[in-house]
Amino acid sequence: MAARDIAIIGYAQTPSQRDAIQSEVQLLVGTITDAVTMAGINRREIGFTCAGSCDYLTGGPFAFVSNLEAAGSWPPISESHVEADGAFAMYEAWMRLQEGDIDIALAFGSGKSSPSNPAEVWAHQLDPYYLAPLGADPVSLAAIQARALLDSGRATERDFAEVVARSRARATANPNAQLSGAVDVDALLAAPYHTAPLRRHDLPPISDGAAAVIMARGDKARELCSRPAWIRGMDHRIDPHQPGVRDITTARSATMAAQKAGYDGGPLDVAEISATFSPQEIILREALGLPDGTEINPSGGPLAGNPVMAVGLIRVIEAAARIIGGGADRALAHATAGPLLQQNLVCLMEGE
Amino acid sequence: MSAESPARKEEMVMEHLVSLTYRERLTPSLNRFVDRILEGELIGHRCPSCSRVYVPPKGYCPLCVVTTSAEDEVQVSDRGILTGFTIITPVAYYGQQATDPFVYASVLLDGASTPVGGQDITGVAHDRIHTGMRVRAVWRPPAERRVEGITNRGWGGLDAVIESFEATGEPDAAPEAYKEHLF
Amino acid sequence: MPGPGRICSNPTVTELRTSETKLEFPYSRTTGPVIGAFLAGLREGRVLGIKGSDGRTLVPPPEYDPETGESLGVDLIEVGPLGTVQAWAWVSNPLPKHPLDRPFAFALIRPDGADSAMLHAVDAGDSGNMRTGLRVRPRFKSEPTGLITDLEAWEVAE
Repeated sequence: MAARDIAIIGYAQTPSQRDAIQSEVQLLVGTITDAVTMAGINRREIGFTCAGSCDYLTGGPFAFVSNLEAAGSWPPISESHVEADGAFAMYEAWMRLQEGDIDIALAFGSGKSSPSNPAEVWAHQLDPYYLAPLGADPVSLAAIQARALLDSGRATERDFAEVVARSRARATANPNAQLSGAVDVDALLAAPYHTAPLRRHDLPPISDGAAAVIMARGDKARELCSRPAWIRGMDHRIDPHQPGVRDITTARSATMAAQKAGYDGGPLDVAEISATFSPQEIILREALGLPDGTEINPSGGPLAGNPVMAVGLIRVIEAAARIIGGGADRALAHATAGPLLQQNLVCLMEGE
Repeated sequence: MSAESPARKEEMVMEHLVSLTYRERLTPSLNRFVDRILEGELIGHRCPSCSRVYVPPKGYCPLCVVTTSAEDEVQVSDRGILTGFTIITPVAYYGQQATDPFVYASVLLDGASTPVGGQDITGVAHDRIHTGMRVRAVWRPPAERRVEGITNRGWGGLDAVIESFEATGEPDAAPEAYKEHLF
Repeated sequence: MPGPGRICSNPTVTELRTSETKLEFPYSRTTGPVIGAFLAGLREGRVLGIKGSDGRTLVPPPEYDPETGESLGVDLIEVGPLGTVQAWAWVSNPLPKHPLDRPFAFALIRPDGADSAMLHAVDAGDSGNMRTGLRVRPRFKSEPTGLITDLEAWEVAE
């Protein structure tokens, strides 16, 4: 049976919020229910469930277990979890569907960034010996990456500001975006540095959120959805961890993941990419080989809302939504993990 | 020039304290639970689908996966059944504050479907504690009640409000009354 | 003020209380002969690297080659003492867990003799003193504690 025979047929996401009053599980209860409803299935038809979240973000070991209450885990279900974005959970569920014995799978991602300081939490994803004790936070690392990109001559600070302006403008059409609106590039450039060469608007907002997708195989997908988003390929690759041993102005693992996912560099109707900091959109555009003129992050992308652990899956959803409901024929979605685009996932989708 | 392997034993271990702080607002249903517990009342939510009562209320029923709200609020008793327990002998570790053996018990309050865990049992020798015992809350005086330990994730205890549970002296509950609500 | 969610328990709630929890794990991490030797080197005021599979000198020294996965052995090589800034960022408002409590640069610094860069801090005083290509010299703590921060920061060497 063909791996290409699997499609997204339902999805849901919460709006990205600075500080949700619901618990992480409550966010998931509504999200998963909405995805199930959109897919037009009974919850009991789901043959496999995979969740993505981060215990260090939630604030305790095995915190992810309680998220399963939102999936409806009685009678017992077949499930798995990844300490990673929901996009990586979707990858595992996609792999599972290829076994051929189940027709429907659920994948979801969730995270509340509001209770903690992201600068402190994410320092702990770093090498505990050589990096974590320095307290190197994602913003400082991204700023070093931005400086390296400026030094290479492949981008200017104006280019960074233009990424932000585009993100905010596009986000005005996205009811789930946290930051949106028309902003003037020169006004952005006049703002003070936050961590030079990055300004505050070059950074993503702090967000709470959740997202879920339902995938189905073959005839089941056609039965449930008039225009499924067929997954033509999905792959993820990882680069070395230490930032000093690789060129951080490129994302070699993103290039490889795109190739392995079957992306040939051809035209795309939409690309939703996890460029968490504005310079990363420039890096990823090049690394993924997106043709000039590709519509990148029509949702606004992570700069408009960054619910870590769901944000990558939301890129998949935004891309899939434009196929299922929007008439797009070919879409690429990208998720990332680790410092400085260390790990990258690419999902290539098409309408029939 | 090559370096020798570290000669000193202490170089073979790196001390690294990971310390992270989380400040999260209580969900509206948990906040309401806290409002009431400060007044000496225990509340839960009854699922509109299966009628199970969750204490404290989570804002949803995990079995039916339906949301619950203030409309589903019910009061439960501060008396109930000891459904399970263990006596923990403290082991020294970073953050350990207990020194003497203590009880860790689950109590199914009358009216609830889920027990409250991590309760101390007082007024009875450890070797006489048994499942099925009828117990009642020993409330701290109102002015001493503290709620900082209560969290959305349910890991905080109620012990700053309800100090412990003690035997009521009533006859033991029959196993049928609690065998499906142990934990 | 957050907007209404799809799940709203009670529209007339009292002001929500905040819980505070602290997660603390006091790790005692064994370092092994490579990382241990590197940390021992810092204690002695030296920066050490290791030869990778392709003969390039990597700092800080990994135990396994980042490209081939090969074990790289335990023979470390002294690099430096000076280094060159490869890229940097200016931290205007240091966080409590940063290595310095005054504005500084986080940077990738390539010690002389090394072919890779290490992430660390440059105590440059002012962002105007920072640039890619800056020559820097390591400053070591007088009372080392066995962490990467025994190299307290790099300083401008020009």
